[in-house]
Amino acid sequence: MKAFHIINLLLIVALLVVICVAEEVVVSNSLRDIQDRCLMIEQLVERDETLKTMNMVLAVDNLEDNWNKDESKLCFMVHHKNIQEIGQEIAKIKQYIAGDDIEAFRVSIECIKMYCHGYLHFMGANLHNVL
Amino acid sequence: MLTIIIRSILIYFIVLLVYRLMGKRQLGQMQPFELVLTLIIADLATIPMAEVSVPVLHGVVPLLTLVVVHFILTLLTKSSQILSKFISGKPSIIINPKGIDYNAMKKLNLSTDDIFAALRECGYFNISQVQYAIMETNGKVSVMPKAESAPVTVENLDLDVDESFIPIVLISEGKYMKDNLALAGLNEEEVDKMVSENGFKGKLKEVLLLTIDQLGNGYIQLKEAEGKTFQAQRLVSK
Repeated sequence: MKAFHIINLLLIVALLVVICVAEEVVVSNSLRDIQDRCLMIEQLVERDETLKTMNMVLAVDNLEDNWNKDESKLCFMVHHKNIQEIGQEIAKIKQYIAGDDIEAFRVSIECIKMYCHGYLHFMGANLHNVL
Repeated sequence: MLTIIIRSILIYFIVLLVYRLMGKRQLGQMQPFELVLTLIIADLATIPMAEVSVPVLHGVVPLLTLVVVHFILTLLTKSSQILSKFISGKPSIIINPKGIDYNAMKKLNLSTDDIFAALRECGYFNISQVQYAIMETNGKVSVMPKAESAPVTVENLDLDVDESFIPIVLISEGKYMKDNLALAGLNEEEVDKMVSENGFKGKLKEVLLLTIDQLGNGYIQLKEAEGKTFQAQRLVSK
């Protein structure tokens, strides 16, 4: 095997490693951040028993802003359908605040957490996912 | 739609790069593991090309992974005879001086029709003309004819002939082949002179083909005209 081929091989392996690390860093951080924010929102709902509070509006706005920032980065690595589902649920929870629909709000938050958890679970290289 | 067009172009170049990295052998005589890779690559490339919701990386990463696997398998088959036999198989003699080897034929899952088809492809229509036929690891059949059926060579006839050389293309479709000019040790002026000497002065753009070998045997043809041979000075081999 020529040196040229070995250099190519090493470059490709390095590129694959970079992609794997970037995926781990970008996707995990973004999705975990969304999960944490959802948990915080859930705690606010438990505490206040209403959605029409300034804290709730701010928390949901932060969640949406954060999601809009991360969405474009995630598009490079995550199936767009998965991203779309999270985006749709975030759009829904804003409407539920206006109607003070706590039950539907809780379901949407749970859905977002589930999508994030599901994708983070699929990302891991374990026997369950490989087979 | 524009996204699909851009993605298609991007993936086309990535697949092209992948095949170039795998080497030219991939395009012709494929070993079993190379055939498997080719089939998978073709399928992988179409997914992100047609499905806009799939990130391009989901197509690129498996492609690059397969390139790495291909390199490793190539390295292993070159470094170990045992692994080479396991991955690529080994050539099998299907016809020997006694005739068709029935056991080899069954082992390779061949029929007599397959053997005859392979022999005909090699130019032998009668099995009695064949001394040995070998099924290579890439699925092609190599034939060694019996002495009485082998093509006559110059050596057999004991003739004294000049060595033949590969003709070098100097002009193709009105354009100088600059690398070939350097190989032949000629410059553009000398080639122009060659064109003029053959009665085509100032008609460089009209030249379809101009070739020359090391003995100075030349061939020139204008577009929409008959070609003619000419004798130029011998070239200095480089």
